[in-house]
Parts: sequence; structure tokens; C-alpha cells
Amino acid sequence: MARILTIEDDVVTAREIAAELQAAGNQVECVGDGSVGLARALAGGYDVITLDRMLPGMDGLEVVSELRRAGIDTPVLMISALSDVDARVRGLRAGGDDYLTKPFAPEELAARVEVLLRRGAGARDTTLRVGDLELDLIARSARRSGAALDLLPLEFRLLEYLMRHAGQVLTRTMIFEAVWGYHFDPGTNVIDVHIGRLRRKVDAAGLEALIHTVRGCGYAMRAP
Amino acid sequence: MNSMDASPRHGGLSGRWRSSTKRLILVYGVFFVAWTVVLIGAISWQTASYLDGVVDSILEQRLRYLSSVERTRLPALLAATNQLDLRGLMASGLFDAQGRYLSGDIDHLPDGLAIDGRVHPLAEGVQRISGERAARMHAVALRLDDGSVMLLARDYRVVDQVGTIIRSALAWALSLTLVPGLLGGYLLSRGPLRRVRTIETAIEPVMRGDLGARLPVSERRDELDMLAAIVNRMLDQIERLLGEVKGVSDSIAHDLRTPLTRLRTQLHRVQQLGDAGDPRGELVERCIVEADALLDRFRALLRISELEDIGRRAGFGSVDLGETLRRVHELYAPLAEEREIAFALDAHAVPALRADGHLLFEALANLVENAIKFTPGGGHVLLRTTSEEGRVVIDVLDDGRGIPVEDRDAVLRRFYRSAGAAGTAGHGLGLPLVAAIARLHGYEFSIGDNPPHGTRMRLAC
Repeated sequence: MARILTIEDDVVTAREIAAELQAAGNQVECVGDGSVGLARALAGGYDVITLDRMLPGMDGLEVVSELRRAGIDTPVLMISALSDVDARVRGLRAGGDDYLTKPFAPEELAARVEVLLRRGAGARDTTLRVGDLELDLIARSARRSGAALDLLPLEFRLLEYLMRHAGQVLTRTMIFEAVWGYHFDPGTNVIDVHIGRLRRKVDAAGLEALIHTVRGCGYAMRAP
Repeated sequence: MNSMDASPRHGGLSGRWRSSTKRLILVYGVFFVAWTVVLIGAISWQTASYLDGVVDSILEQRLRYLSSVERTRLPALLAATNQLDLRGLMASGLFDAQGRYLSGDIDHLPDGLAIDGRVHPLAEGVQRISGERAARMHAVALRLDDGSVMLLARDYRVVDQVGTIIRSALAWALSLTLVPGLLGGYLLSRGPLRRVRTIETAIEPVMRGDLGARLPVSERRDELDMLAAIVNRMLDQIERLLGEVKGVSDSIAHDLRTPLTRLRTQLHRVQQLGDAGDPRGELVERCIVEADALLDRFRALLRISELEDIGRRAGFGSVDLGETLRRVHELYAPLAEEREIAFALDAHAVPALRADGHLLFEALANLVENAIKFTPGGGHVLLRTTSEEGRVVIDVLDDGRGIPVEDRDAVLRRFYRSAGAAGTAGHGLGLPLVAAIARLHGYEFSIGDNPPHGTRMRLAC
């Protein structure tokens, strides 16, 4: 069970965050004030911190930069009403690990927290494995059940992202941000089409599906 | 007037202004000339009649004096007065009762001159013995007591000369006044005209939609400044009202987003609770799609506002346009392929641009998505860069049904969707978003034709 610290002054939002993260099996502590939150975070013992940008007592940016200055590298998910790219860049530069704009769908938050929780696991591996799917990051090649897959560079990046976060739900926004590096809504079903093409190559006929659609949310790669 | 020739764009306004000034100066000139002519006429007529009287009274005085002297002294006296008359204006003659010449410098009585002691004008003049003949004379003849006739005549030239002098003096005065007057009038009229031109230039951004621009108000505080100040106050008011309208729509979008997100969350929970085979699941799924579409719409609306308000340039840097285009192509190629649209990229030797890379990508992505959306299967979409007059031009060309000319401005407005767009997914905010990004960059965004049919979306950087 992961311990999560939620620093959020809006009671309704805090309750929502807590409910969603608890539903995912985490232990959540909520704090409504920036300086109190910082004190708790400095005490340590948390696996992930969700941090509101605008807080009474101490600004979210200050909290995270203080935290980093103290040498604490607990992953921080910044949550803000400011959707501007500048605000995002400032948030990440101050030491945030991910940035989520209000209002957000709770499952988006849960998915992002999940990614942060598992961050670092297997980061140095040169070969990723999910079931009988194998991705060689050095040779930049992929094999499924021993047969080589013919992937375009973009498809390779997409597959790498899915495999690195195997077992986790990845929303379309997360996929777009991570694989393409842009922070806007790409609209229609562009991401779906890309996943669809990758799926046709990875989950060829007769093979068990590895890429799963999570209804109303996004995708997940799971070993059978 | 060359300096006043404005570019053809200003044709209408400038043309009217110029002709109005010309007309004013012309009317002023005509009135001035007419009045001066009347003035000259009146003065010369007055002078002439006064001098007439003077000449006549001189003649009469002299006649009275001469008629009162002794008859024998008369010829000598006449000769003496003529000698005293240095300018030779006077002439005289003595005739016997039968009209025969006795003495003096006139040897005959002029025809038609009544011998009645009154002054009469002689249009023909009188021939003197010396042969000299004045054009116009006034003459008086009187029968003396002994029956002889005395004739006195005075040259009228002097009066005519005075008239001429007066007329030419006034004509000089006229031309000396008229020329600088008209010139000055023209020059003075140029000042306000130049300021009108400045005002016209200043108001252009307003006409283009930038309501923040104001008219210049000079130190002079004259009528034009008053007018400019009034227009500025009006613009303040319009800007405030439009800002309020926008603010209201933005805050509606902003306020509705949170409950809408919660609604979507609840729907998601319902979906998760349902069994896999539950037919209601599909219904819930459709509700989620609708909620997502609404959220998308609000998000795009607020994003445009954000772009308009912030006008940020923090994200500006050198952007590899070729790479950006390649990535846009990469992102949308599968979608195009799925819709059986040939999507090609034509970008070679593209220079680096100073831009916000993220926003540029977003704008291009919107344009391409739009083109793919409105191109039927089997159609073509081309993403291309060219160089035109030193500018980098990015075109997104499609061979869809095109956008009618009358709709092209409208599709750049929020929420407008052309009649042909009915039945296609989208929030109608893609092109306004592109327009906002283009404005932020100072790029020119235009919609044109892609012959024989289709649309050309152009970003001129």
C-alpha cells in the first residue's frame, strides 16, 4: 500500500482526490496548508505527493522547491488551475514531476499517480518484456513470440512507453504528452488511430491481446 | 499633391477629402476675385466721377474768370495760361462771331459743341494747331459780349490715367493677396489632412479587431483632438463592453467545467460498476463521449481566451520548422490513411523560425486535422512550405468541398461552423484557435482556394 500526501486547500477537490486514490488501494493524507504540507513532506515516508499550485500559507512552487532543496525526491504531481504552458514549465522546473490541470478527471489523476509510484522501476533495463513481447532498446527492435515486428520509429516509441508502464492505465493525454511531447488536446481520435495501428502489429491475429482499451479512460498494456 | 496620394487601400476616404479641400479653395478664389473686381469697379467709378467734377469746375472757373477780363487782353491772357500749363492739358481758341479763327492753339470750333457756357465732353477730342490731338476732352464755349466765341478745352487723359493707375494698383493687390491666400489656404488645409491621415492609420488596427488601439490626441486641443478624444472614449466603452461579454462567456465556460468534470466522473463510476454485458453500459459510454465533447469545447474556448489575453512570448525560440512539420505529418498520417486520404508532406530546405514551438505545432495540427475532417475519402491533403517574398509560407491544401468566400471570415469566429460542416465532429474552435496563435506570432492566417476545388489554409510567417 502506497502512502500519498495530498496538499490541497479546496475541500471538495481534496475529498475527490482522496476517494479516487483510496479506491486504487492507497493510503491518503490530506493537508490544506502549504507550510504544514511542507513540514509533513519533509518528515518523509510518502511515496507520492499531489500538490496544488495555489495554497494558503505557502505557494505550491515554493513547497516543491523547498522540498527538492532539502534533498527529498519524492515524486510530486502538481495540480493547477493554470493550464498555460508557461505555468506548466515553471511547475516542472521548480521540481514537480508531472503537471495536471484543473478540472481533471479523477481517473486521469489516478493514472498519473500510478505512473509516479512505479517510476524508476526498471528504468535502466535495456530490454523490456511483457508476456512474450520483447523490446530491445539498444538494437531498437521488437519481437513477439520470437517473430520480429516491423515498427516505425514512432510506433517503437509508443510501444516503449506502453511497455515501460505495463499494468498501468495510460490516458490519451498522458500518451500524447509522453510520446509526442506536446501539451494540448490533439482532438478526435488521433491517438486511438496510432494505438490501433500498433495493436495490429503487436497483437496480430491468433495472438493473445497485450494492449487493452480501458473504457472511457485510455489504454493499458498487460501480460495475459 | 503627390505627398497626399495615399495607397489605393485608402482610395475612397482620401479621394473625398482631397476634392473637398480643392473645392473650398476654388470657391474661395472665385469669390475673392469677383469681390475684388466689384471693388475695383466701384473705386474707379467713384474716382472718375470725382475727377470729372474737378476738371469741369476748373474749366468753368477759368471760363468765368476769362470772360470777365477785358476783351483786348484776352488773347494774351489765353496764351499766358496755356504757357503756364506745363503738361499741355489745356487748349483754347478765340473765334469771331462767324466762327472764324482769331487766336489760341485751337483753330476751329468742334462740330456739335453747343456755345452755351456749359462743359460738354468731346469724345473725338479737338485738333490743335500743333497737330496734336487728344483722344478725349471736355470743352466749353461761350459767346462773349462782342459776339466772339471763346473755347476752352481740357484734356481728359489725366482722369483716364488716374483710373488706370487705380485699377492696376488694385489688380496688383488682388494678385498679391490671391496667390499667397490660395497657397496659404492649401498649405493650411494640408495640416488637418495630414492629421486625418494619421488618425486613419491609427484606427486601422481597430478596424482589424484590435480594440486596444487609440487615436492620437495632440497638444493643440483643437477640433480634431476633440473628435479623437470622443472616438477614444467610445472605443474605451466598446472595449469594456466586449471585454464583459467575453468575460461572461469565459467565466461560464470556466464555471461549467468543474460540475461537468464531476458529471463525467460520476458517469465513469457508473460505467465501472456495471457488468460487462449490461446494455446500459453503451448508453453511459455515449454520455461520457458527449460530456467529453462539451469539456473539449470549453477547454478550447478558454484556451483561445488565454492566448488572446496573455500574449505571451516567453515560449518563443528558434523552431526547426521542417522537424515540426514532419512531426505533424507523423501524427496525422495514420488518421488520413484510415480515411483513405493521401496525406503528403512537402517541406525541404526550410529555415528556422522564431516561434513558440508548442503553439506552432498546435496550430498546424489543427489545420491538418481540419483538412482531413473535411476531405472525402480518396481525396488529398498536402502540407507544404514555400517561400514567398522572403516570408516562409505554410500551406495546408485539400481537395474537399472548400469554404465559400462569404464564410471565410466567419469560420475564424468562435463557434461558427459552415453549413457544410453539419454532421462532422468538432467544436468549431479549431480555426479560431489557429487564428489566435497566428495573431500571437504576428503571422498572417488566410483561407483561400485550392483550385479546382478545395481549401488552402495559409500561415505566412
